[in-house]
Amino acid sequence: MTEQPTSTVRVLLRAPFTAQTWRALAFLLVGLVLASFAFVSVAAGAFGGGLLSITLIGLPVLTVVVLSGRLWGRAWRWLARVVLGAPQPGPAPWRRQPGVFGFIRSGLSDVAGWRGLAFTVIAFPVIAIGAYASVIIWGLSIGVAASPFIWWLGHPTNVDHGVKHHSLMQFGSYYIDSWPRVIMLAAAGVLCCFIAPWPARGFTAVVRALMRWLLSPTVRDERVVELERSRSHAVEDAADTLRRVERDLHDGTQARLVAMAMTLGRAKERMDADPDGARELIDGAHSDAKQALAELRDVVRSIRPPALDRGLDAALATLTSRSAVPVQLTTQVDRRASSGVETIAYFAVAELLTNVTRHSGAARARVDVVTTPKHLMITVWDDGHGGAAQGLGSGLPGLRERAATVDGALTIDSPTGGPTTITVVLPTERGT
Amino acid sequence: MHVVIAEDSGILRDGLVQLLTERGHEVAAAVSDARALRDAVDKHRPDVAIIDIRMPPTFTDEGIVAAIELRRAHPDVGILVFSQWVETRYATELLAGRADGVGYLLKDRVADVGEFVDALERVAAGGTALDPDVVTQLFGASRRTDALERLTTRERDVLEAMAEGRSNAAIARHLVVTERAVEKHVTNIFTKLDLTRSDEDHRRVLAVLLYLQS
Repeated sequence: MTEQPTSTVRVLLRAPFTAQTWRALAFLLVGLVLASFAFVSVAAGAFGGGLLSITLIGLPVLTVVVLSGRLWGRAWRWLARVVLGAPQPGPAPWRRQPGVFGFIRSGLSDVAGWRGLAFTVIAFPVIAIGAYASVIIWGLSIGVAASPFIWWLGHPTNVDHGVKHHSLMQFGSYYIDSWPRVIMLAAAGVLCCFIAPWPARGFTAVVRALMRWLLSPTVRDERVVELERSRSHAVEDAADTLRRVERDLHDGTQARLVAMAMTLGRAKERMDADPDGARELIDGAHSDAKQALAELRDVVRSIRPPALDRGLDAALATLTSRSAVPVQLTTQVDRRASSGVETIAYFAVAELLTNVTRHSGAARARVDVVTTPKHLMITVWDDGHGGAAQGLGSGLPGLRERAATVDGALTIDSPTGGPTTITVVLPTERGT
Repeated sequence: MHVVIAEDSGILRDGLVQLLTERGHEVAAAVSDARALRDAVDKHRPDVAIIDIRMPPTFTDEGIVAAIELRRAHPDVGILVFSQWVETRYATELLAGRADGVGYLLKDRVADVGEFVDALERVAAGGTALDPDVVTQLFGASRRTDALERLTTRERDVLEAMAEGRSNAAIARHLVVTERAVEKHVTNIFTKLDLTRSDEDHRRVLAVLLYLQS
């Protein structure tokens, strides 16, 4: 922390020479042109559209004005990306409703468009003041810093009360007319050059903040992105499950049944000539059949445990009692969640207990399930060696994604050395 | 042995009827849902009823509900619940209070015809027949893990076999030891778990189960 002052000094000393400073100035200057065009066109459009609104074409004109807010927003984001090197995500694309009235309705109610307009109106004075202030400060600083050359080469004179002074400037009756004085003034100018970057950078920061506020994706946009992501995850997840079930059935049960049929066929052929051999084959087929039943039961359980019909607590009772690590289960489930939520909850516990068995080295585990009016909360605790978050192949990211498909959340508390507590909270009521 | 069968899958129902008839038992009725099961038991008063868990109309837990009801209404009728899955919750509900004349087996067990019929006869005679899976799960769900940990591996094997409903002689055959050795293990188990010694097979099963659920 002792380096703090040094680094501040360094930042101040370097400021005039960093790209960021000149990018900010360029942003303000180009921005002023853009802001002026935008402001004038929006003002003209709004005024014209307002006047025309007594006629039929007024509304379409106003619609176009609102939509132009999106266009200006895009221009600003482009400018920020190109000049400042600061890309910013934009709102979701406009969704046009069919027909002329659909166009007007969806246009006038376009939040992103209105936000773009608001930005245009608010940003214009900020940019104007910022650009003006920056140019003045830079111009003065550089001018004063360079004044010795002007004084020496340009040889300016001014005459006051009949007295002729070789001076570029005067402060009252104090004339900058000698080398020491000129150098002193230049030094002040150079000093100003180190202050000059900050107004431009400050105003640019303000504009960027405005952009983040008004030209970024709306909460709803972000929600849409999130939903699209979790939907695609859900689809992938379902496809993966089907693929896995198909493979389990194909490689396991189906293959075993084929082998069984084959063995029985051979036994049938041998029955008369070699009854003892046939009996041996039948024994083999018999144990194949029992094995197939056991495998099939596992496959079906992996699709959906039948006891979920009775409730999450009944299904978890079986799951936890079959765990290799002893599990203490407590449930306070006083209302049923939807079948989808219960299934996700069940498989979350199943996967977490598999992790406990495989990775944690735990001797004991606890599963607590509680329902609140709006949520289903599951806690899986184990006394293992912790560090679950880092565990690759733990399936925790996948679990989190699966919980997200119903707006649920998963939190991991697993310090190295343990114990590990993983909490899954799933909403049981549909959000609006 | 008089048997009533409630199983909604036709192929399995017919198979069971055939199997039991071949062995000289009398199948009084073979029905496909819980209501018909109650009527059949009321009418025929069988020695034992074989009950599938998932049956119409909802295909969830009709069989368990009916089994628990029948156990109350007809304590003398043996109940064998017969299912593709073992659910811990169903097992505890079924065994709540008493472990006589009751069984819970995976359908797979019918593949070993002899053992299956033995189990059925045991239940009909007022004994117990629990699937090894049922016992494992009851052990897993038990809160008395510390007490169970005091048992040696052999004693645990004996305890599991006891919970399945086997007699000392059967346990001895199963574990390939002498009956005397089994008796010694049983005494140790009862001492370690602070249970009252009992010689009656179903009573000791009950003792074990009550202990596990406490």
